[in-house]
Amino acid sequence: MANVDVAGIHRPDGRLDAATALRPYKGPWDERRAAHLLRRAGFGGSPADVKRLASGGVSAAVGSLVDFPSTSSLPPPANVYDPIGHVRQMLGGRAPGMLGDDDKRRLGKMVRKEERASVLSLQSWWLDRMLVSPAPLQEKMTLYFHGHFTTAAVQKGVSPPMVLAQNQLFRDNALGNLRELTRKVSKDPAMLLYLDNSLNVASHPNENYARELMELFTLGVDHYTEQDVRESARAWSGWQVLRRDGVARFVPGRHDGGTKTFLGRTGAWTGDDIVDIIFDQPQAATFFAGSLLNFFVYNDPEPELVDAVAALVRKNDFELAPVVSTLLRSDVFYSDRAYRALVKSPVEFVVGTHKALGLAQIDDSARRALAAMGQVLFYPPNVAGWPGGQNWITSQMMLARQNFVAGLVTSQAMADSTWMNALPLQARTAANDLVAAILQGDASPLATAQLVAYLNGEGESALGMLSGENRDERVRGAAYLTMAMPAFQLA
Amino acid sequence: MSMQRGSFLLGAFSGIAVVANADHLFARALAAAPLSGLPGAENRTLVLVNLQGGNDGLNCVVPHGNAAYYRVRPQLAIARSEVLAIDAQMGFNPNMRALKALYDKGQVAVVQGVGYPDPDHSHFRSTEIWQTAAPDKYLHTGWLGRYMDEAGLPADNLFNGVAISQVLPEAMIGTTVDVPAIPQERGYGLVSDRDAQTKGAYTRVVRDGRLPFKSPYLSHVMEIADHSQRGSEELPKLIAGYKPAGAYPATPLGRSLSLAAQIVGSKLGTKVIYVQHGSFDTHVSQLQTQNRLLAEFSDAIAAFYGDLAAHGNDGGVLTMTFSEFGRRIEENGSRGTDHGEASPLFLIGGGVKGGLYGTAPDLARTSIGNVAYSTDFRSVYATVLEKWLGRPSQKILSGAFPTLSVLG
Repeated sequence: MANVDVAGIHRPDGRLDAATALRPYKGPWDERRAAHLLRRAGFGGSPADVKRLASGGVSAAVGSLVDFPSTSSLPPPANVYDPIGHVRQMLGGRAPGMLGDDDKRRLGKMVRKEERASVLSLQSWWLDRMLVSPAPLQEKMTLYFHGHFTTAAVQKGVSPPMVLAQNQLFRDNALGNLRELTRKVSKDPAMLLYLDNSLNVASHPNENYARELMELFTLGVDHYTEQDVRESARAWSGWQVLRRDGVARFVPGRHDGGTKTFLGRTGAWTGDDIVDIIFDQPQAATFFAGSLLNFFVYNDPEPELVDAVAALVRKNDFELAPVVSTLLRSDVFYSDRAYRALVKSPVEFVVGTHKALGLAQIDDSARRALAAMGQVLFYPPNVAGWPGGQNWITSQMMLARQNFVAGLVTSQAMADSTWMNALPLQARTAANDLVAAILQGDASPLATAQLVAYLNGEGESALGMLSGENRDERVRGAAYLTMAMPAFQLA
Repeated sequence: MSMQRGSFLLGAFSGIAVVANADHLFARALAAAPLSGLPGAENRTLVLVNLQGGNDGLNCVVPHGNAAYYRVRPQLAIARSEVLAIDAQMGFNPNMRALKALYDKGQVAVVQGVGYPDPDHSHFRSTEIWQTAAPDKYLHTGWLGRYMDEAGLPADNLFNGVAISQVLPEAMIGTTVDVPAIPQERGYGLVSDRDAQTKGAYTRVVRDGRLPFKSPYLSHVMEIADHSQRGSEELPKLIAGYKPAGAYPATPLGRSLSLAAQIVGSKLGTKVIYVQHGSFDTHVSQLQTQNRLLAEFSDAIAAFYGDLAAHGNDGGVLTMTFSEFGRRIEENGSRGTDHGEASPLFLIGGGVKGGLYGTAPDLARTSIGNVAYSTDFRSVYATVLEKWLGRPSQKILSGAFPTLSVLG
């Protein structure tokens, strides 16, 4: 989410106790709070996951997420389509200029088709990884960075291998240093192409990247001048990604080596210098503090809270692990004001639904449903990323969420939901178990009573009490209704 | 696991039935439509077309009589012989033949040089400025949301405004009126509504708010769960009787405007419809992209007004375009243009006095190489609000802006 005041983003009611907000939480530790932690620091969990996390204390629970295990056993997908190799092979040694216009068009069409198909398989791979990784916080941070340092696939020559490389860059730096990651992502081929810095030459500066670097990635609007944008663009000139190899390189002849005055400092700055100067601004820590609070705790956080987290960011010199660790252990994180105070993004919703049901794989229909819910991985709507908050819940997106759950509970995959298949044949107990497992009890008594009535076939169909004969249908329908309840839309 | 008969689960993917039904709850709402203070305004609709990404004004409404244009655009200028001339100075991009034909019939007004003071060059912020009508502050509501809140539209009409888009645009966000965002009619509905028992239980569980937690989003989630179920059930029935006259181009904008005509023709009391078109963010290879998008726009608008006219609805529909900014006067080194400032917009159809308005772009008198604004976009909004929708604009726009003479 962009760190600016946008419509549909709401702060919880009530008052912040700024003095105690970041102190370690010492209150009760139970399944409800463990599930809250799992939703925020990951994608939720199965009833067994929640129980396991609730059995220790808050410190052990946060520790297990922050000090995450190596995920080298989960390799990136093989056979990612590489248009560069493909085109080289099709040309067979000829220069591209030797192709006729029709051949060029045909080749271009074929390449784009292959690229789109390959990005689809990358989406499936990442969704599955979010579901099964033993390091959910690593995937959550990767998703955070994908929405923060946005890059969209296929357009502007951003190829599937570049998409994957950027995704791995985010994963490798999941709880690393923000300054370092900003430097790296600035020179990442996908980013250089997506925001046109690859076209930024001394003689014809292109300001697109220079502007977004400050506006959306590090400082926010109103913290720099148009002159700073132009000077930064000059400093960032010279970086280039060539079509023939897709590699990012610095070409001294394209760089403007002259003196620039940027954010009040004068020198023959390069792109790296620009990043350093940006991170020397107090606003950089403030910006990331607000962004992290919005992502992990609640939206539109109070300036006092932002300042407290910004001080923490500065104290740790932009190292994320201690900052995120403090946030996840803090009083404010476990406060009533933060509880269910965020709207689940569609990706959180889809992965979380699979987690809650205890399913081990996400199939292609979920990937298609995500498009209707408004979030397609590797295709953010614009450079500002996904808007979030209330904007995730329009009428159409709500229907897409509910219909996705309806499709999932009717699918063959449900055979793998062991806890659901073991629900007792007593409607009241089954209803309570569903509400406990899926919502940690966050349903009204009336809604739970509706589930009991539904499981017993009361009302229009009057098909008799819950029994072995009808349990599959009834339990699936009741699980759908439980996941249709308001709490399930909220993280 | 075996499946039982009679469950919604069996029909999960067989689509949503469309049943024509004239007897609907909205008849009441329509009868109670508020007086607007402007004769005829109660039957009017505004269609807003967002040309998203920053439409290059100079290659859209081309200053073909200005030699400076050909100097600053060596690669990108549209040849004078190709321009669809309005007069000796200005003309339409050659890909907008259908729009030029409407212009020649007096149905299109071109307002030149629309922008705002101290322009912002970021897509995000400038879009937000146009949507909220607030260049100098951040607002949580949009100008049309505030219009709908203020106009006293019937609270039980779920279609006072309709956004034909995935994400609800900020312009349509109000504090009391909720606008559905509908990307397309097909598939707009709950599959679980196919089973009466599940439908009934769903209705009850999503609306019960006595929950053991608070959330700043809870009331919104419950409201939308309710609206989406009722709205999706009603909309197909309400618009099923409408048959489009003539074919629309098979483009996203063509489909959006076809649905817009259907909504207008079904008399749902819809005051505002929002559609999107783009992306016009042509930093690179501009000609190819912008020409295609302008052709798509022009062809879809012509089909839309043809359809509206065949049903006698064209006089009641005003279409207005907007883009977050125009582009830099001078082309960049990538056969594209960077973010700029003022640009022209179009007002089309009902009530428009066709012609060329505002000041032609002055390519010499510029702020950092951009077209300076000569008409504040809030003047255009004020004109639409007061002279088309019949509402006072000052409160909605947080200020008094002079109206233009472009509407009757």
